[in-house]
Amino acid sequence: MTIIVPSGTGNVYAGSGTIQHPSWSPYDENGGTCVAVSGNDYCVVASSNRLSTGFSILTRDESKIIKMSHKCVIATANCQADRKTLQKTLQTRHIMYMHNHGKPMSVAAMAQLVSNTLYYKRFFPYYTYNLVCGLDEEGKGAVYTYDPVGSYERTGYSCEGTGKDLIQPVLDNQLKASSPLVLPAENWMTALPMDDAVDLVKDAFVSAGERDIYTGDVVELLIITKDGVRTEHLDLKKD
Amino acid sequence: MFLTRSEYDRGVNTFSPEGRLFQVEYAIEAIKLGSTAIGVKTKTGTVLAVEKRVTSPLLEPTSVEKVAEVDEHIGVAMSGLTADARTLIDHARAETQSHRFTYNEPMPVESCTQAVCDLSLRFGEDDDDGGSGGGMSRPFGVALLVAGWDNGSAVLFHTDPSGTFYRCEAMAIGSGSEGAQTALKEGFRADLSLEEAEVLALSTLKQVMEEKVTSTNVDIASVAPSYHLYSPTEVQGVIGRL
Repeated sequence: MTIIVPSGTGNVYAGSGTIQHPSWSPYDENGGTCVAVSGNDYCVVASSNRLSTGFSILTRDESKIIKMSHKCVIATANCQADRKTLQKTLQTRHIMYMHNHGKPMSVAAMAQLVSNTLYYKRFFPYYTYNLVCGLDEEGKGAVYTYDPVGSYERTGYSCEGTGKDLIQPVLDNQLKASSPLVLPAENWMTALPMDDAVDLVKDAFVSAGERDIYTGDVVELLIITKDGVRTEHLDLKKD
Repeated sequence: MFLTRSEYDRGVNTFSPEGRLFQVEYAIEAIKLGSTAIGVKTKTGTVLAVEKRVTSPLLEPTSVEKVAEVDEHIGVAMSGLTADARTLIDHARAETQSHRFTYNEPMPVESCTQAVCDLSLRFGEDDDDGGSGGGMSRPFGVALLVAGWDNGSAVLFHTDPSGTFYRCEAMAIGSGSEGAQTALKEGFRADLSLEEAEVLALSTLKQVMEEKVTSTNVDIASVAPSYHLYSPTEVQGVIGRL
């Protein structure tokens, strides 16, 4: 049975027909874009440093990439509070792993750990989009891409965050061919030389910065090779 | 040691004035009553050989289990109170599976050995935290040889009831361990092949065993690079090469 309440009677009670739930939103969408491209012996990871909410810019200098080891970094977009907690948890787990096993975690191990950590909060998820990137045990570039509840896949390149719709199709267009250098052909590896990959990522960010209001200010690029992690910065428009 | 029996014998976690934990030392003695187990490491894998005391012809020899698989890349041989070993092996299996679940990679053998030794030390503790092994009122009376495969190389560890562990090239535990270790020192070379290691382990075992070696009263297992328990036919093959 439905009781129809005249409109304009203000708050309604249970049993009155229309139930108005109090609004509670524990998440903030802080935007940001993460891109990673891996090659035969390198991995380029980039993320914009703008942190926003709605039409406001909270800061122009918020790094979204955490360096776990010389061979592994994690880039995280969206809800800043969740990113900080997630990255802090993972860093602690990594330090404990190094104490217990006497070696840094491999990218594959970190990838599984990130998946488990995200799925552990399946019913109150971290509202984050993650990329786990680095060099695998063979020294080849590796990119693992996630959804917020921990489903993951190893790919050759990926983009997450607010600029995904703009950047991912460009990466697909430029990189989806499998490398002729890798035998047998592995479709997760791009054949692009490292400098070209860096340029591609920079171009992608410049373009995304034109259209996406949550992508801008500065792009932080981490370039992972066997010699370690090198950081570069590229200025974007600040509007 | 047995002459200095005193009130310090009773509390498992009470040091004697000389700084000894008698119950732990007695546990180590218990291993010297156990059947002999031998481990030999080579570049391509580790061989474990154990004596099974089949005390009666009415006993089913396969029910005497002195080597066990912990994970695909880890096997253990035991000596002493083998019932205690089950607790340790169960713990090791849970740890290695948990590691695979969390990190999608095999657990480093040293970490697994460390986890077992951590449990070995947890005797005399209250079980109020629900920890496994808590509530064990005495030390585990068992020594283990942990053979494994780590990132492309073979490893062998020896653990004892005090919770200490050592990395070894070759090791013997149990009643015949002294004689066996002397034989191993003579026969061991770093460049042994797996087949030569099988022969070294089994011939050493033969020297310290009272009975004649047969395919039913010894067990052989190898981790090279994955765990494999030899069938009676395979054991017979090694006996034939002695």
